[in-house]
Amino acid sequence: MPTNLSDMAQDDNKHIYFMKQALLMGEKALEVGETPVGCVLVYRGQIVGSGMNDTNKSMNGTRHAEFIAIDEMLRAYPRSLLRSTDLYVTVEPCVMCASALRQYQIRAVYFGCSNERFGGTGSILSLHSDTSIDPPYPVYGGLFGKQAIMLLRRFYIQENEKAPKPRPKKHRELNTKFDDET
Amino acid sequence: MDVQEVLRGVKPLLGQVVPVRTVQETRPREEFEDAYAVEVNVKNASKVIKVLDNAFPRDPSRPLNHLRRFAKHTQIPDELRPVLIKGEPSTQTIFTLITPPLPDADTLRELLAPFAPPSDSSQSSETQPSQDTTGTIHLHTIRIPTQPPLNIAQAEKWSKTMWPVVFNPATPRATIAPPPHALSCVHESLKPKAGRYLALARIVAAEAEKSGVGRGVGAVVVDPELEATIDATDDARWADAIVAVAGDIRYARREGGAVSEAERHQGTGPNPNAQAYNPDVEGGPELHALMHAVDLVASARRKQAGGEMNQSIPLTPLEEFFLTQSDAPVHQSAEESDNLSPVPRKYQKTETEAYPMPTDTDSTRVPRLRSREQGGYLCTDLDVYMTHEPCLCCSMGLLLSRFRAVIFPRQGRMVAGGIASEPVISPVPVEEAEEASAPTSDPPEQEEAPSSEASRPYYGLHWRKELNWRAMGFEFVEDEITEKSAEEGVAFHA
Repeated sequence: MPTNLSDMAQDDNKHIYFMKQALLMGEKALEVGETPVGCVLVYRGQIVGSGMNDTNKSMNGTRHAEFIAIDEMLRAYPRSLLRSTDLYVTVEPCVMCASALRQYQIRAVYFGCSNERFGGTGSILSLHSDTSIDPPYPVYGGLFGKQAIMLLRRFYIQENEKAPKPRPKKHRELNTKFDDET
Repeated sequence: MDVQEVLRGVKPLLGQVVPVRTVQETRPREEFEDAYAVEVNVKNASKVIKVLDNAFPRDPSRPLNHLRRFAKHTQIPDELRPVLIKGEPSTQTIFTLITPPLPDADTLRELLAPFAPPSDSSQSSETQPSQDTTGTIHLHTIRIPTQPPLNIAQAEKWSKTMWPVVFNPATPRATIAPPPHALSCVHESLKPKAGRYLALARIVAAEAEKSGVGRGVGAVVVDPELEATIDATDDARWADAIVAVAGDIRYARREGGAVSEAERHQGTGPNPNAQAYNPDVEGGPELHALMHAVDLVASARRKQAGGEMNQSIPLTPLEEFFLTQSDAPVHQSAEESDNLSPVPRKYQKTETEAYPMPTDTDSTRVPRLRSREQGGYLCTDLDVYMTHEPCLCCSMGLLLSRFRAVIFPRQGRMVAGGIASEPVISPVPVEEAEEASAPTSDPPEQEEAPSSEASRPYYGLHWRKELNWRAMGFEFVEDEITEKSAEEGVAFHA
């Protein structure tokens, strides 16, 4: 199939733009003391939903960015449109969200950094492609991965006043280095 | 609906609670890593251990106690002999094992140099041509199993081919399953009332189905600590440790400004959508019974913290009842209850009359849901009883909510479920009894699923060593089965 180079460039620009919007949602989460993960849902080139982690404020451990964004989208659109919608999320969706996205039949998922502890689209499990009653979806990782990691590092360097025994982290320094400079 | 009457009328399911094994138990994965075998003077054995343990303290989170620290020449597996032993086997030297994470080779050689074998029995120069001097330490890279053997046969196989391995049936296999003691404590605590909670979950499910707001799936959330404080002989108080119940509401959400599927199909009776699986009308996993229950607990917590409840989807009488109990007094004196009952007025009459009064009068108004100050956080240490095996999304949701345990009837297994770890094979009660009486017996190796079994993945998500959060999983095996398993019905996400 012939590939139009200018189309490809436009495509790249599109991915860059939407992932930057997801990162901005992550920034917002950081400002209000939530785990800085952000995402946007894109339907026909438009952002139809955006979300950031909301587990602290809602006191509900399942309120991840993906669910918040889907909530917002469904206020204006029927869920069947998710089949033509792409997700841009700063961190690989966790096992819970990976399954939810499959149940919602998301068209494609673009993520920043992988999630070595809970990742459901390749890191721990591969729920986007495993046998299931819903069709699989493609995932593309690594878009602005370092920026996504830096958001998380900036979060985890803070002291958690909500923890039963806050750990003093005064002397910690923000690590800005990456092992694999690619 | 008279909630008290419903609670009184609950007929417990009869059967037994059995733990769901972990996937690492049902499909033991063998893991191997590189280690060094080093020949040292047999006289120095104890010193070698001391020096090694001082220089490279063992990581207690990586139990490698199944590997012998020393192997005599006669214990070296046949396959390693040509590499490790040159010439005749000797009793003057012994091989010690350096386990991963492997230290720097030069540091190690230096450290062990004083204990090198006498020159006459040291290695020929074949392996390390440049370092052939007396007292040289040779590091031989070998492969070792990093997980303890699960049975004697495995231990023997490894001992013959890799390195001498000890089988200890009592080793708590902490890396692949919940510690046996913790598991049996939870198991015992669930047994007396599981049948009753599950029966209530089915009533909650029937309510959800009948009203058309969702599929017939229900969840009951219990605080086991609260349960322990309830007088077990007082039958009228059996439901006092329930902090929330919730039914499936997948058809109740309005999307894109349109009416919901539930509103579209007015009237009584199950929603016609439930007869098949159509992802476009299913609603999302956040409307499943478990997620709904988690949301109700969260909204009660927000209310405790002075926030709002903001329930967008109306609750059923049972859901409402337990939700209000959760930020209301469990213990009310008869005098107080008239004016202080937090139960909505339309249920109030019933409640004040029928809700069992406590015998202890000094107890103050304590909400069922423990507050943040009392250690209440998300769904930490709560148990959830489900009518069906939760879907993958809900299974992970229950881990992220920090539930202690999840319990569902084996009849409620789902093709798209996230908890089961193996197919049901033979008549189960017999098999379980055998297993219970012989806990050390070897699990059958590489069990093949019967070909007739519907192919579904078995995730055993409740307890996976790869995940940071874990819960215990249990199935309730009913004595008498009258209906076919949900696994054979419409495949949907419960």
